[in-house]
Amino acid sequence: MSAQLEISNLNKRFGGLVAVNDVSFTLRPGEVVGLLGPNGSGKTTVMNMISGALPSDGGQVRVGGVDITRMKPHRVAKHGVARTFQLVRPLPTLSVAENVLLSLAFGRKRHWGREARDLAEEKLAFVGLAGRGEEQVGNLTYIDQKRLEMARALASEPELLLLDEWLAGLNPSELRIGIDLVQHLQGQGMTVLLVEHIMEAVRALCSRCIVMSAGEVIAEGESGEVLQRPAVIKAYLGDDHA
Amino acid sequence: MKVQTAFALAAAVLVVLALAPLFIPDYWTGVLLGMTGYVTLATAWALFSGPTRYVSLATVAFFGVGAYTVAVLNEAMPYPMVLLCAAGIGMALALVVGLSTLRLAGVYFVIFTFGLAELVRQVVSWWEVNVTYTMGRYVFLPFEGRHIYWQLLALAAVTLLISWAIGRSRLGLALKAVGDDETVAAHAGVDVTRIKLLLFVISATIITLVGAIQAPRWTYIEPSIVFNPTVSFMTLIMALLGGAMRLWGPLVGAVPLFLLFEWLSVSFPDHFSIILGLLFILIVFVMPNGVLAKLEDLRKGGRA
Ligand SMILES: Nc1ncnc2c1ncn2[C@@H]1O[C@H](COP(=O)(O)OP(=O)(O)OP(=O)(O)O)[C@@H](O)[C@H]1O
Ligand SMILES: [Mg+2]
Repeated sequence: MSAQLEISNLNKRFGGLVAVNDVSFTLRPGEVVGLLGPNGSGKTTVMNMISGALPSDGGQVRVGGVDITRMKPHRVAKHGVARTFQLVRPLPTLSVAENVLLSLAFGRKRHWGREARDLAEEKLAFVGLAGRGEEQVGNLTYIDQKRLEMARALASEPELLLLDEWLAGLNPSELRIGIDLVQHLQGQGMTVLLVEHIMEAVRALCSRCIVMSAGEVIAEGESGEVLQRPAVIKAYLGDDHA
Repeated sequence: MKVQTAFALAAAVLVVLALAPLFIPDYWTGVLLGMTGYVTLATAWALFSGPTRYVSLATVAFFGVGAYTVAVLNEAMPYPMVLLCAAGIGMALALVVGLSTLRLAGVYFVIFTFGLAELVRQVVSWWEVNVTYTMGRYVFLPFEGRHIYWQLLALAAVTLLISWAIGRSRLGLALKAVGDDETVAAHAGVDVTRIKLLLFVISATIITLVGAIQAPRWTYIEPSIVFNPTVSFMTLIMALLGGAMRLWGPLVGAVPLFLLFEWLSVSFPDHFSIILGLLFILIVFVMPNGVLAKLEDLRKGGRA
């Protein structure tokens, strides 16, 4: 089977800053791959270019063999790519259920009415928000907002899921729940690109990872091995000492 | 309340309102007419500006285009055709304006729409003076107040029906999402540009029709009469007072404010604009989400 996500020679500049420099990598169907790197190394920018939030300055993004480089975000979503945002972005005038209904109604299929409400409840139950559909998002705790962020992404029924530090800011027991959830998705055959700083999560979830530093890919390979490489350790420690 | 009950009730009210001119003095029919016009304007305005929070001051641009189209065409073709032409012109203008401005954010959009109304007025005046050599036109249509009122009442009912239908559709959900966070809405699969354009055009077309239907009231029309910016401000204030995010909000705001404005413009004609401005500030500060939301808050507060 061909690659689920294929990124080749992706570039992005912000004024004089080269945020992403000639980045290429591939995800096979059903793979959960970590995208790592110190703060400001360009991980979110790569994600933004995949999801269509930012236009790239060069290079190509292919999903399931289709070139989506210049697609607008809503086309990308309908093509089967969903994402969460690094800072949670629940829609405050919508109820919890409506946040999920939105993706069901406009994602890959057009679910609406009774069927959509049932599906929304199903997605909410999957992330641990069963029976909470009528609540206001403003009243949700941080972890519940993260759960909602995931439910909304899953509701568009993606084949490729982009998680931008979805596990960040959770306490140890919540982290365990979060990791289980992603493992569950993996079991269902979802392809996931996981931007993450928490090594415990990366080790548990990713067979393979890609490490970026200053906009470039500096290492790629099997997780355990890559995380041992001097260049990777230096990139992280250098950041910590800065 | 069940949907059927609500519809039956609304239909009953509509019948009573439709029969009213047969029993009340002409003066009060005129008041009802004006009020129905503003209820429609405010509801149509809120259709787009409520959920998306794009505050438009272009109301009078479309209203004026509607009225002026009738003034130009009323002797050239049958009345229903005139209305169709007006709607078509309003729609076309809304498409052009929408395509060029809906990317503007926040205050730039407000200023642009305000400028647009002035621009349209100037262009129409310039055209009349330099091309057609007419300043001011007469509308000869055999309508009395109640005929105009009935047309407006029908348009108001249709507008509320459209608003209700959108509110419970996929489109309504998408609009609310766009108002909250365009980026998130787009990533959920919503074609943000298309949806904003669609709603802007629907809203503007209704507003154009309000102007067109009301045109025969003036008999004599010139650009400064039908492109009066007060119309835009009053529409805005009414929708905000009632609450632009709710189906009945604009109506709840339009009815009392129209009566208040009627009284003010008769009793204090010189201070009308100042009072309008003060009222606007008061509404924005005291109940930014409108009366209906305020009442709900108070009720919740009382229970808690
Ligand atoms: N919209 C933007 N305009 C200008 N500069 C930007 C923009 N977005 C990101 N950058 C810059 O590009 C670089 C890469 O940012 P990016 O957010 O992709 O990093 P990241 O790897 O996701 O970091 P973090 O781990 O902190 O989330 C940073 O220097 C950032 O300041
Ligand atoms: Mg980031």
